[in-house]
Amino acid sequence: MRRSALAFISISLAAVCARAGDVPPEPTRVAALEMEAGLARKPLIYLFLDPQRRVLEIKSRGTVLDTVPLTGIEVVSQQPVMRRDILSHPPFPAVWTIQQGAGDSDREVIAPTELKPAPKMGEEEEDQAPPAASGAAQAPTPTPTPAVGPPASYRSRLDNGWDLWVTDTLPPQSRLKTLLAAVQDGWQRVFGEGEDHIPAITLAMTDENARRIHHLLRTGMPILVASET
Amino acid sequence: MLARLGRPFVSTPFDATPSVTPEVTDAGRLTKIAGQAFKDIEKVHPKGVYIVVDTFRNRLHLYEDGKLLRSAVCSTGTGRVLRDPRNGRQWVFDSPMGERVVETKRQHPVWAKPDWAFIEDGYLPPKDPNERFDAYSLGDYALYIGDGFIIHGTLFKSLLGRRVTHGCIRLGDEDLEFLYHHAPIGTRVYLY
Repeated sequence: MRRSALAFISISLAAVCARAGDVPPEPTRVAALEMEAGLARKPLIYLFLDPQRRVLEIKSRGTVLDTVPLTGIEVVSQQPVMRRDILSHPPFPAVWTIQQGAGDSDREVIAPTELKPAPKMGEEEEDQAPPAASGAAQAPTPTPTPAVGPPASYRSRLDNGWDLWVTDTLPPQSRLKTLLAAVQDGWQRVFGEGEDHIPAITLAMTDENARRIHHLLRTGMPILVASET
Repeated sequence: MLARLGRPFVSTPFDATPSVTPEVTDAGRLTKIAGQAFKDIEKVHPKGVYIVVDTFRNRLHLYEDGKLLRSAVCSTGTGRVLRDPRNGRQWVFDSPMGERVVETKRQHPVWAKPDWAFIEDGYLPPKDPNERFDAYSLGDYALYIGDGFIIHGTLFKSLLGRRVTHGCIRLGDEDLEFLYHHAPIGTRVYLY
């Protein structure tokens, strides 16, 4: 699994060249290969989204470092119940770039209030023992702070004006659930709580995968979108 | 009730058919462009021994020509920010992302502790440089990958597999020794 994920160069794109001498290469594949060559020239990580294979690959220098299988790629938009607009999606093959990343602002800040002189080498720092409690048995036991992991559903803004929504759960689409969601959204708007979302390219994946690519979706991350067909 | 209907999310499949028609359609020129792009990628993709670090799962993999030589549990950067209370200077404890190179390697490395190592513990950085040297914390070997980032050992073995470092990659003793002996200077390191 690991070895296949690490196959040199995207197989689909390399295949373009393997066949290049036999038959005229497909223009869109060549365009994608050229875009990938542009990304591979830099010592950076980039993502490769293949809507046909339903995978998101983490790559650098043309090499697949890891693969994230997708359970769905959808265009998700907010639309009235009684009217459905057919939305197109950003053209591809193309390189989309994260303009405002979900992983940009999730940092814990450590800020000591004051600094004291460091103990000299070899000096033992005197332990400041906590004041002795009168009832040792009643002393509170510190509990470790639970680690806060990245979310499993989040949005990033792309430079083409669309959102990229990574989620482990796509919105329900049955008639009943759509109607219920519409009623809920309507009530929220009545109370001024409604929120408008711009249309999003939505990548559905397992919650673990959604969490593990969160830190990659920071501002400036390029995403090459290309398909085998 | 209908008057109160809002706008639910509607989901439509992403059409996986490419929607851009490139300007170049001439077969001969396409072949030439494809060949050049392929050469460009071939030229930069990793050859020989290289290291891959998954900073979410805290795993380091050593490959040779695509064949996995060793996988190890490691520790990577916390992602936290440290702020100096005196002047507001900040450090971000991220492991770097992207491609790096093993620039130097050292046995029995000595760590020259930077300012943040003192500030994080609530101490003023010492004025005497000799008070910064620490011969124990980095373990037996160190592989320097630039900008102060190091692949090194640790005294805190129980924290391997967690994001606890200031950006360096920590390994257990045996894995570090293996890496030291199998990854020569110039080895490329891919962190994501």
